[in-house]
Amino acid sequence: MTLPDIAPLAPTAPQAYRQRSPMWFAWQRFSGNKAAIAAGIVLAILILMAIFAPLITPVPPEAQLFLTESLAFPSPQHWFGIDSLGRDFYTRIVYGARISLSIGFAAALFSVVIGIPLGALAGYYGGKVDWIIMRIIELFSVVPPLLAAMLLGAVTRGGYFTIILIAALFGWVQVCLLVRAQVKAFREKEFVRAAHALGASPWYVIRRHLIPNSISPIIVGFVLAIPLAMMLEASLSFLGIGVPPPTPTWGQMINEGIDFMFFYWHLAVFPTAALAITVLATTLFGDGLRDALDPTLKGR
Amino acid sequence: MLSFILRRLVSVAATFIIVSLIIFFMMHSIPGGPFDANDMPVSEAVRAKLMANLGLDQPLYVQYFRYMWGVLNFDFGVPYQSPGETVTQLLSRAWVPSLVLGGLGVLIGAPLGILLGMAAALNRNSWIDYLASTLATLGLTIPVFVTSMLLILVFAVWLNWLPASGWGKPERWILPVTAYALIPLATYARYTRSAMLDTLNRPFVTVLRAKGLTERRIVFQHVLRNSAIPLVTVFLPMFIGTATGSIFVEAMFRVPGLGAYFVSSIETRDYPLEMALMLMITFMYCIAYLLSDIVYALINPRIRVGGGQ
Repeated sequence: MTLPDIAPLAPTAPQAYRQRSPMWFAWQRFSGNKAAIAAGIVLAILILMAIFAPLITPVPPEAQLFLTESLAFPSPQHWFGIDSLGRDFYTRIVYGARISLSIGFAAALFSVVIGIPLGALAGYYGGKVDWIIMRIIELFSVVPPLLAAMLLGAVTRGGYFTIILIAALFGWVQVCLLVRAQVKAFREKEFVRAAHALGASPWYVIRRHLIPNSISPIIVGFVLAIPLAMMLEASLSFLGIGVPPPTPTWGQMINEGIDFMFFYWHLAVFPTAALAITVLATTLFGDGLRDALDPTLKGR
Repeated sequence: MLSFILRRLVSVAATFIIVSLIIFFMMHSIPGGPFDANDMPVSEAVRAKLMANLGLDQPLYVQYFRYMWGVLNFDFGVPYQSPGETVTQLLSRAWVPSLVLGGLGVLIGAPLGILLGMAAALNRNSWIDYLASTLATLGLTIPVFVTSMLLILVFAVWLNWLPASGWGKPERWILPVTAYALIPLATYARYTRSAMLDTLNRPFVTVLRAKGLTERRIVFQHVLRNSAIPLVTVFLPMFIGTATGSIFVEAMFRVPGLGAYFVSSIETRDYPLEMALMLMITFMYCIAYLLSDIVYALINPRIRVGGGQ
């Protein structure tokens, strides 16, 4: 929203001119974005919660320890109440963060691993290679990701690692396009041509010059792939073809919550809020990062 | 222009055929069949006869060509889960609620989104700009079943103003239509805002101002038209979002539409119905893709002359 703070240059000032790194400017832009900072803090808390889940709640998420108190409302002992199968709901929400976040990060990582080489190849070689990769991407853009994921989930019978792979299968397209655009723009730069003239192989140029120069779109692609993967996981789990029970996932809990909504509101409210907050925080953080790292992309 | 359309048509047709092949073979590689022993305890001979009657004993490629030949004659087969009617009859019965709710959602959401985006772009950093950004971020990031859940919790459970589910009386439509409308509203608010801001900063707008045109004429006659191009390109993703959103909206609000059949046809290996649904959605996407390309070319002469890219 606000214009990036440009460090005031005082031509008359005698003090030494300080050279600032691009990261410094990126940080300046990022720290000006209040929403992104808040989102980053929320995200950090969520990640810590997911990592230290066993320390936060002593009860295992799948243990039916409170069967006599099934469907109990939130109380000081059980902050989010008890679910219909006698499990502490707060524990399940906390452990749900593990599933959601780990799937988000792993899928984003795989997306980047697939997207970088393909994007670099398409951007560097152009011509036929580019044509083939772009046609594959076109194929992906005509198939609705969710329907294809539903079919794939049914073929592979769901499961944690399958969901990661499915999410990556649809996440790489964005990374690939970002890297391709960046590589294409840098391919004709003088330093790349100089490297060629010095006898560098295409592989060396891509590895040493083009990919390092694409680092900001790669980071942006990575962070923005996380919420998409989390949404895909939640959607599939909601439909009952994602991560199978008793593993606690928010999508599953929301689906179960519909039936209880009118009388046991806590079973619907908490997973819904958890998913909404996590996806929102990740997206706002990613958007902030994108605006900070690459101001020209702002608002796309 | 004609050659451009023809070229896109060929490309879209090729994509459609490839996608139909992928879907068909993926569908048949789901473990289990429609008449497995625990679903239908009949003797082996009967099952074999049943499979033969439905052509399921043939090699897959034969089944594919048979099915696609049927599709060319508008024959989508008989759904295994409801053998008393054809797939076409089932779809024409089920798609009324989906079309009414989804269509109303888009018809309400898209214009509202465009208006909101325009208001936001013209009043930067005002409350309406923040409202637009917030709504756009919420609508684009939060899955539709979460927004549906929030709507039900607030308006049906907590305030008790509106019924939470069902189909029939128009007051039952309000919540699902709102849930649908949020997707186009968010998409259009976001992209209209950024497209208008881009255009407002272009030199020709300064020239128009210097010529003394009223702000209203500048906005409606010049800026809006020049901002239309990005709005056409987001039509497709918005359409995809709304169409796949139907599965969730209908599950949340218990609407007897198409959405439920997507899941049930996969679960019961109802090949004809599943294939028909997937082909229908892919076909609609292809048409939407093609239309957005053509409209894009119509309003942007640079593309019309220069070819697809």
